[in-house]
Amino acid sequence: MKFLKNLFAFLIPLLSMLITFSIFLLIDNVVDNYKSKISRDYSIIIVTTTPVEKDSIKELAGIKVEKIQNLPNDKIISSIQSNLSETSVELLKQKLPNFYQIYLEIFPTTSELDDIKQTLLQNKNVRKVEVFYKNHNQIYLLLLLLNSVSFILFFIITIFAIIIIAKQIKLWFHEHSVKISILRLHGASILYSASSILNYALLSSLLSFLISAAFLYYVSNNMIVLFPIELHEIVDIDINLFTELVKIFSLSFSISTFTIFGVLLKYKITND
Amino acid sequence: MIEAKNIYLSYDDNKYVIKKGNFSIKPKEFIFIGGNSGSGKSTLLKSFYGDIPLKHGSLKIDNQEVFGIRGKKLRVLRKDIGIIFQDYKLINEYTIEENIMIPLKINGYSDEISKDQANKLLAHVRLSHRAGYYPNELSGGEQQRVAVARALAHNPKIIIADEPTGNLDDFSAEVVWNLLKGANEQLGITIVVVTHRVPKNLGIKFRQLSIEDGIIYEVS
Repeated sequence: MKFLKNLFAFLIPLLSMLITFSIFLLIDNVVDNYKSKISRDYSIIIVTTTPVEKDSIKELAGIKVEKIQNLPNDKIISSIQSNLSETSVELLKQKLPNFYQIYLEIFPTTSELDDIKQTLLQNKNVRKVEVFYKNHNQIYLLLLLLNSVSFILFFIITIFAIIIIAKQIKLWFHEHSVKISILRLHGASILYSASSILNYALLSSLLSFLISAAFLYYVSNNMIVLFPIELHEIVDIDINLFTELVKIFSLSFSISTFTIFGVLLKYKITND
Repeated sequence: MIEAKNIYLSYDDNKYVIKKGNFSIKPKEFIFIGGNSGSGKSTLLKSFYGDIPLKHGSLKIDNQEVFGIRGKKLRVLRKDIGIIFQDYKLINEYTIEENIMIPLKINGYSDEISKDQANKLLAHVRLSHRAGYYPNELSGGEQQRVAVARALAHNPKIIIADEPTGNLDDFSAEVVWNLLKGANEQLGITIVVVTHRVPKNLGIKFRQLSIEDGIIYEVS
């Protein structure tokens, strides 16, 4: 009973933190997927004096360009051709600027769009840029907001979890103080003396990781837990489970190790 | 084995418990340290295993300077010493066999060797039948015999005992004295015992030091 009580005292704050982290990872994945989905339908129009090669614009304000499509100006000319002489048409063909449609690899935020526009306008060859602010999707902005909120929540819970875990480790030290002092009197190192505490902590970390891994797996296959059914046509979860599990595992053990060694160091400084 | 030159010990800077302590203990000696309650006997003993730092002077245990000792050097020093306490200091969540295995495990011996040695020592202190018991299931005399076995487990050069029979009846006390006598005579271990009651008819050559007003005297 005492063993379980000790285990839960460490496991619950760590698990809360890992579950929040899993939710953040899932929302981040939803945002990324949505971003790439809408980026396929989104493009920027630029007007240049001389022709532009795709290789000369590989990246715009840190965002990769997927493709550049030349918009032929034949249609413009054909629509007004009947009113013009052949010489004028030829002159117009020479003087008419080049129109391009730029497709980006991801869907940029409003500020990224501003940066892209400014970057393009710095080029003297570029005469006009149209980024279509109004097309900027409101669902995307809401998802971005949700992503930020989940990160802030994860951050706050992490701070509280570290405080609770540190308190629990101190409590364990207090409970095991007699045993630790006897072992130290026999020449044991602090790590050896506190090995039972370390075992508790590592077992709790492992259990927390397994539970949160199960949660992540379940939620990634059952979106309804996080998103109402009405959103299922819009949002999509497509995670690389292994990569995400590695992130959760690293977080679980790094937070536990960081807290344990913090408390051990403090104990060593106070008692040596 | 133990060489003290001009040592001063105190718990605070205002009052010294031990002043200008000078003495030496040779290998294989059996030493009693006596004195009234509060005279500083236990404090002196604690300084041997670095539980109380020296304020001044030099104290060498097996050529290792104890003044300012800490960290790894302190751990190495403690690994070479067997300690017996008046209140036994056994770990209640360990069986008595596991308690005896403590110094062996700390010294890096395998589980198998540690267990084997623990069982030999349990037989030596006549507690083989209690190997799986926990300390609080034993009498005081039995617990102290376990503590003696633990102190002997890793074959230390020196055993330090702080009032080892202070809480025991006469019969149990005699058993403990005989175990310490055997360790000294048969294994050549240096024994330093703090006690306010030196046993009669110990049947072994010993030397006695006494502490009065913080000064260490040679009695015999």
